[in-house]
Amino acid sequence: MTRTLFALKLRLFRNGPHNERGFSLVAGLVLAALVVVGARLAARGAMHEGWVAVAVTVWGGMWVFGPLAQPRHDPSVISREWLRGYPLRPWRLARALSWTELLGVGPLITVACLSSLVVLAAPGGPAAGAIAAVAALAQLYLLVWAGKTVAALAAWLLRTRAGMTLAAVQTAVMLALSFAGWVPVAAWLLPQLGEGDTALVTPALGRLPASVTDLLATLPTGWGYAAALAARDGAGPGAVVPPLVALLAVGALLQLGWIALTARALRRPPRPPRPRRPAAPGRPPVSPLTMTPVSAVVARELATWLRDPARGVELRSAWLTPPLMALIIAFSEWWWALPLVGPAAAVFGAMVATNTYALDGTALWQPLTTPGALKADVRGRMAAWAVLFGLPSLALAAALWAATGSPVGGAAVGGALAAAAVGCAGAPLLAVVMPAVGADARDRIHPGQRAGDPTGGQMTIFPVVLLAAVLPGVLGGVAGGPRWVGVLIAVGLSAAVLAVTPVLTLRLLQRRGTALLDAMASRDAAVLRASTRGAS
Amino acid sequence: MRAPSVPAVEVVDLTQRFGSVLAVDRISLSIPPGTFYGIVGPNGAGKTTTLTAVCGLREPTSGSITIAGHDLRTAREAALAQLGVMMDGLSLPERLTATEVLRYSAGLRGLDDGWRKRAGDLLEILGLDAVPRTLVVEYSTGMRKKINLALALLHRPRVLVLDEPFEAIDPVSAHAIEQVLRQYVDGGGTVVMSSHIMDFVERNCRRVAVVAGGRVLVEGPVEEVAAGATLNERFVDLVGADPVRPLEWLA
Repeated sequence: MTRTLFALKLRLFRNGPHNERGFSLVAGLVLAALVVVGARLAARGAMHEGWVAVAVTVWGGMWVFGPLAQPRHDPSVISREWLRGYPLRPWRLARALSWTELLGVGPLITVACLSSLVVLAAPGGPAAGAIAAVAALAQLYLLVWAGKTVAALAAWLLRTRAGMTLAAVQTAVMLALSFAGWVPVAAWLLPQLGEGDTALVTPALGRLPASVTDLLATLPTGWGYAAALAARDGAGPGAVVPPLVALLAVGALLQLGWIALTARALRRPPRPPRPRRPAAPGRPPVSPLTMTPVSAVVARELATWLRDPARGVELRSAWLTPPLMALIIAFSEWWWALPLVGPAAAVFGAMVATNTYALDGTALWQPLTTPGALKADVRGRMAAWAVLFGLPSLALAAALWAATGSPVGGAAVGGALAAAAVGCAGAPLLAVVMPAVGADARDRIHPGQRAGDPTGGQMTIFPVVLLAAVLPGVLGGVAGGPRWVGVLIAVGLSAAVLAVTPVLTLRLLQRRGTALLDAMASRDAAVLRASTRGAS
Repeated sequence: MRAPSVPAVEVVDLTQRFGSVLAVDRISLSIPPGTFYGIVGPNGAGKTTTLTAVCGLREPTSGSITIAGHDLRTAREAALAQLGVMMDGLSLPERLTATEVLRYSAGLRGLDDGWRKRAGDLLEILGLDAVPRTLVVEYSTGMRKKINLALALLHRPRVLVLDEPFEAIDPVSAHAIEQVLRQYVDGGGTVVMSSHIMDFVERNCRRVAVVAGGRVLVEGPVEEVAAGATLNERFVDLVGADPVRPLEWLA
């Protein structure tokens, strides 16, 4: 059965879409090559070997935390639904499936990265190299099963309302650490920047402290590294064997856990998933203005942001990330940077709203067949975004400016205004241009279902909104004069963006709306790209 | 006011290609106002493709479509204003309740306050008022068909375009939908629908087009098309059904 499932997965890879997989393969192999080059330099003594441990730890961290950072993404290629009807014991089926999980881009690029252990151990002779190869494979085994188990647990959690909140909190923590985690480090390097003093504290980065490398080697992500190093140094079986046995034992336990979770899922009778919550949570948003086309769309959007599971996770994470960032910054020497959290909130708001058309899916037929509705749809989405993300980001910047009296407060408010305008107008545009098509809205009950991966759109809008946030401050500084010059620039930029971008979005929807609907009905964004090529 | 002789829907030489596949091959239909019109055909015949083009959800490769005298290509907004659409397998604003979806649709179309009475009637007759807090995403197939029909009727369109309105729904839901459609046609509305339910088409439609391979095989009043047999028998004759050889292993 394992062989049959392997063949099925290979066929699915061959016949399925290749874009995302191809990108991951190329990007992953480039990163893996960098780690291998680092290991080669370390083996020659040109670089401290502890940096290889850091790289391997970060790589392993991606396996463990990746599924949490992407709560919408279901990595399984062979659908459980296809297999549920076969008269096979769930445990046997899950066990056979488990081996097919080793086939994929992730394991391939990880084994390329872990080959750095062999390079690192090579100076110890062929035996050390062979042991390092075993250590690399054992490390891969552990990482794959750690990642799969976390993904299975996350998918199970996301079926509950508490799980949705948990996923949003995890995403927010990771985003806050990613975007503000550097602030304490920067504050340590430039402690007096708030007073305009750019004196740099220079740390020594050439050699990692032994305590750090020892700690990394004791983490499960570093056991392979520890075994390879022990083999290279001829430390004997007492140092080599325990990490290898630990890798295989913990990996086997995790694989068993995954098999148990999958067998449990296969045992459940096929039925449409039902949300474990009241049907329409809370009172519906009723507005006295509901009868104009734009306010009807605003009411629909507000309800959808609050009730759609995929949008709900995004909304919560976008709302939670700025306060967490503020918390990190407040406890550093750079408290004066707090108002900048306002523009950052607009950036996050824009990032989580880049895929709304794909999330609403084939419901687009209604605006397409209603006279004048496309214009109302674009304006309504923008207005709802302004209510949920734009105005709060502006208020946050102003409140933190008032609370801290920061010298960058004016620039922060101007930046928040410009960023909010660009996010407000840019998110619907990107949602039309770069839809990450997944399961249709009618087929999604919880966020773990394939809702499309909007990373491309998010990575596109991020620098654009960030640039808009920075631009008024920079141009104001270059122009000189009083602080209101920067705010004036922000107002001008916002007005221009809000005037031009929605017109462009509307034109695109009028020209490509039916192709977008086709793409969502067929769940293939390539349909949209083909129509664009055909039109041009 | 347009002359009553203007067809409710006029399709002239409609052709639809998908790459090398010819899905619809120069189909022409002229549907008079106040007609209950059925389009029947085997799977892949081009029924849904034709209806999708009629309601403006697909740009045809060639040919023209006119709704109550308004060309869909040159006067799109005026043509769309005449239409009520119910397509199979598409989403709605899924996180709204039935009342909220109708309110949204009324707002989107800028309807006057009369929509509230019509919405209340439709929800009651179609049995959707029994689940006022249920979101559309949680609806069964039959409930989806009903809310789609309510949406299509809310603005009192002159033409209803329905794709497989009775596909995969229970007889009770089908009966409710059938009653509403009869009232609509009796009131002067035009229904253009595709269906596999020959019994329903024979019972309700005044005219029918049998489509296969992207072409109209025969079109006319149902009695003439049936030509003395049942519509189902005539359909199988027209479309052709391969004989099924006995499968010994089934014995």
